[in-house]
Amino acid sequence: MNEWIAVGVFAVVAASIPAVMVSASRLLRPSVPEKGKETVYESGEVPTGGTRLNFNIQYYMVALLFVVFDIETVLIFPWTVVYQDAVGAAGLGSALAPMLVFIAVLVVGLGWAWRTGVIRWVSSANTEFNT
Amino acid sequence: MATTPVAVAEWLGYATPPLWLQVVLAAVVSGVVVTVMLTTSALAGPWAKRKITAMFTDRIAINRNGPAGIFTIAADSVRLMSKELIVPDGADRPAFDVAPAILPLSALLGFAVIPMGSGLQLADPEIGLAYVFAVSSIASVGMVVGGYASGNKYSLLGSMRSVAESIAYEIPLVITAASVVLLAGSLRLSDIVAAQQGTLVSLGPIAIPAWYGFLNPFALALFLVASLAEVGRNPFDIGEAPTEIVGGYITEYSSIYFVLFFLGEFLHIFLSAAVLTTLFLGGPAGPGPAWLGIVWFGVKIWAVFLFTQWCRAAVPRVRIDQMLEIGWKGLLVLSFANLVLTAIIVGVIA
Repeated sequence: MNEWIAVGVFAVVAASIPAVMVSASRLLRPSVPEKGKETVYESGEVPTGGTRLNFNIQYYMVALLFVVFDIETVLIFPWTVVYQDAVGAAGLGSALAPMLVFIAVLVVGLGWAWRTGVIRWVSSANTEFNT
Repeated sequence: MATTPVAVAEWLGYATPPLWLQVVLAAVVSGVVVTVMLTTSALAGPWAKRKITAMFTDRIAINRNGPAGIFTIAADSVRLMSKELIVPDGADRPAFDVAPAILPLSALLGFAVIPMGSGLQLADPEIGLAYVFAVSSIASVGMVVGGYASGNKYSLLGSMRSVAESIAYEIPLVITAASVVLLAGSLRLSDIVAAQQGTLVSLGPIAIPAWYGFLNPFALALFLVASLAEVGRNPFDIGEAPTEIVGGYITEYSSIYFVLFFLGEFLHIFLSAAVLTTLFLGGPAGPGPAWLGIVWFGVKIWAVFLFTQWCRAAVPRVRIDQMLEIGWKGLLVLSFANLVLTAIIVGVIA
C-alpha cells in the first residue's frame, strides 16, 4: 500500500474544507458595496500613499541567511538517520568528524553574519522618530 | 504498527488492496482525522482560549449558550461566515483570495502522518518528520501573499515580521528535531514513537518512560520555544501584535477569510503540539491499554496548548530586534550545541 496515495487523498479532503467554507459563506453573506467600506484601513485616517514601497533591507539580509541554513538542515537530516549505523560500521571519528567540520563552517558563517551586523536590528537613520 | 488504511484493508481480507480500495479507505480515514482536528481546533480551541484568558484576567467568559458556553463558538462561526466580505481598494485580487486558504491547508496536511494512537494514523512515510516540517512551513507563503495582496501598510509590515520570525525559528526547530532523529535513527514518526516505549529509570514504583523529553529536556525546551515562535504565539506574536500594527496580515480580512486565518492559526498550534508530543512526549503512549492511546495523545497536545495560552496571558511580547537576537544568536547556537552534544553522546554509547 503506497503511503503517498493516502497523503494525496488527504490533501484533496483538506483542500475541500476551505473551499466548502468559502462557498457556504457566499450563500450566507450579504453584499452591500459602498465606497467608504472599501478604503484601506489606516486607523481611521485617510490612507496616504500606496503600499508598493521600498522596504527595509534587513528583512532581505535575514532571508538570505535563512536560505543558507535551511539548505544545510536538509543536508544534516540524512546524516542523522544513518548516524547510529555509521558509528557501528566505521567508528565514532569517521561518522562524526565530517559533520563537525560541516557545522564548523556554518558556525563561522554565522559568526561572520553576527560581526557584520546582519542579524542586528538597527533602526534606520533617516526615520523621524529615531531615538 | 500498521497505518489505519492498511489495518482496515487487512481486516477486510485484502493483503494487497486494489487502487480503488486504497483511495476509498484513505478518504474515509482522512475524513476522520480532519473531523477530529477541526473539532479540536475550531470548536474546543477557541472556547478554551476564551475561558483561560478570562480566568487569567479575572473576568467571566462565555457561559450562556450550552454547557459552559460551548455553543457560543458554533454561533460565532455562523455569525462570522454570514458577515459581508469587504475587499479593500488596493487588493491584488486572485492573491487576496488564495492566501486565507493556504494557512489551514498547510497545517491540516501535517496531520496526515501524525500517529494519534488507538491505531489512528493515515500514512506513515519513511520521511514523515521532514514531510511535517515541509508542509507546515508553507504557511509562511500564505502570510506573505495575504500581507502583500491586502494593499495595507499594516498588513505588509505584519507579513514581513511574520516571515522574518518564522524563518529565524525554523532552523532551531528543525535542528532540534534532528537531534531526536539521532537518538531514534529514523524519520518515520511511528519509529520515533516506538523508540520511546522503554523505561528510562525506575524510582521505586514509578517508572519514568524513556520519552525524549525526559532523556533530553534541554532539547524539549528549545523545541518548545521555537514552536511558540513558529506559530507566532506570545511572546513571539509580533506578526499580529494587535497593539502595534492592528492585526498584521489579517488587518484587511473579514468574513470567511478571517475565519480561515483564525482556523489556520489554531490548527498550527495543535500541529506543533502534535509534533512536539510525537518527538518528545512518547506520542500516544501512556498507562493503561493501547486503545486509550488517542486519549493520552489528546491529553498531551492539550497540555502543550494550555502552555501556549499560559504564555499568552503571562509573558509580554518581545520587540522585533529582540526576536531576531533570541532566534539567531540564542536558539540557533544552542540548537547546534545540542545537536553536536547529542551526536557525541549517541556515538559514545552506540
